[in-house]
Amino acid sequence: MITKFWQGLGPFRRAEFLSPRDLLQRAGAISVLFLAVHLAGLREFTSVLNGTIGSVAAGWKLSGFLALIYILLYLAFVILVPVLVLAATLLVVWQRFRRKKEKSSP
Amino acid sequence: MQSRMKRILTGLAALVIAAIIWLPCLHLLFARPLSAFRQDPGLSPKASQLAARQLQLWTEPALREQELKKMRASNAEWDFMGRSYLVWSLANMALRDPPSKQLYLQTMDQIIDETLRLEKQEGMYFFLMPYAKERHYLVQPAHSLFLDGEIALMLASRRMIEEKPEYKPLLTERINAIVGRLQKSPRMMLESYPDECWMFDHCVALDAIKLADYLDDSDHSALIRGWMAMAKQKLVDPKSGLLISSFTTDGTPLAGPEGSSIWMVAHCLQLLDEDFARDQYQRARKELGEITLGFGYAHEWPKSWKGEANIDSGPIIPGFEISAGSSGMAFIGASTFSDGKFLRSLATTLDFAGFPSRTGGRLKYCASNQVGDAALLYAATLGPLWQKLKAGTKP
Repeated sequence: MITKFWQGLGPFRRAEFLSPRDLLQRAGAISVLFLAVHLAGLREFTSVLNGTIGSVAAGWKLSGFLALIYILLYLAFVILVPVLVLAATLLVVWQRFRRKKEKSSP
Repeated sequence: MQSRMKRILTGLAALVIAAIIWLPCLHLLFARPLSAFRQDPGLSPKASQLAARQLQLWTEPALREQELKKMRASNAEWDFMGRSYLVWSLANMALRDPPSKQLYLQTMDQIIDETLRLEKQEGMYFFLMPYAKERHYLVQPAHSLFLDGEIALMLASRRMIEEKPEYKPLLTERINAIVGRLQKSPRMMLESYPDECWMFDHCVALDAIKLADYLDDSDHSALIRGWMAMAKQKLVDPKSGLLISSFTTDGTPLAGPEGSSIWMVAHCLQLLDEDFARDQYQRARKELGEITLGFGYAHEWPKSWKGEANIDSGPIIPGFEISAGSSGMAFIGASTFSDGKFLRSLATTLDFAGFPSRTGGRLKYCASNQVGDAALLYAATLGPLWQKLKAGTKP
């Protein structure tokens, strides 16, 4: 039972730096964080981009800070996450190709 | 150790290759056919959704109050311009979507009546930035061409769709006042702020005069020709060939050519001098418009002019020098001159970086505000009103 639990946690265990699993874990973490700020409604604060306060009650400083968090996570989600996933795929393909080559060499 | 280093280098190489593959493809996630933004004839899906949100603001006072409060915290002008752009959009929409004409007219009247009431009750400073009170207007009694021109164009646009007798004297009075002041002014330059004249406001006011001529059989063509000749001679930046955006009453330039102004100016010029309008658009497109990796955007100033970010340009994103204000107004220029490639790339950027939010068939851009969304709606619907005037079909 306990063994099965630890096996289930496998994908979340720390992977080797820049290994395919490491890249996918980072992509997953960014996606979860972005989903959290999106569901929290931080998108509304991005009006600071055109010089309009996100919320009069929150004030300029807090609105700007929340907007910055949202924008950074959004950019990471649409730019970085696909790059990480693509890079992980490339690494897996590369590793398989090398293994195959090593096996076939005398 | 060697194996670890090798793994890291392989990982980095994979990241670089992945970035090289992904970045040129990124725009494909956000690119839509041009017809999603603008359709001829009829209304595009985006125009309908943006309009639904804008109309909602005029049926739910609490929501409108909340939006206006946020905008007025930065700039009271935006409250006013949001009204103007919505009225001008609704006029075009009434021609594009005749079954909904009555709803559009009703909203136009509501906006115009409330704007006139506020102007009368609170005075013209209500819609101006606080620095308007820091000095005296040179010409007394004080008038702002910014307010007079846009109100006149709102009244005229409404009457172009269907005559409303109550608005006829209001338009005539406003037009006569503008014309009278232009005729008295030694250089035909009227203040929007104390000793501060704007190209944008002059072009809007001249369009209103043109529409009033059409509606009421008056003739100010000589005045318009005279003003155009003066502007070409005195208000063009020699390096870029673009009209400057602001100047004093004696014609001294205050700000050079600005993206947040020139795109709308080119649109307005289309009614006044079509060839010059196209020339200005083409120059602005060359000097200010950019498409990078499928994303369209615009700079606030040409390379030959150094300027600081201001309330009109919005924050400037360093590196690419992207101006939110200029990029937003570029939609109007690209739409006016049927520059499909640029318009589509701007719409791609809007969906990437404008943070669209859709609820119940209503669309707003979170990175924008009410006036920004109203200007986008105008870009998505403009055309039929100008065409009606050119065709000479009476309402």
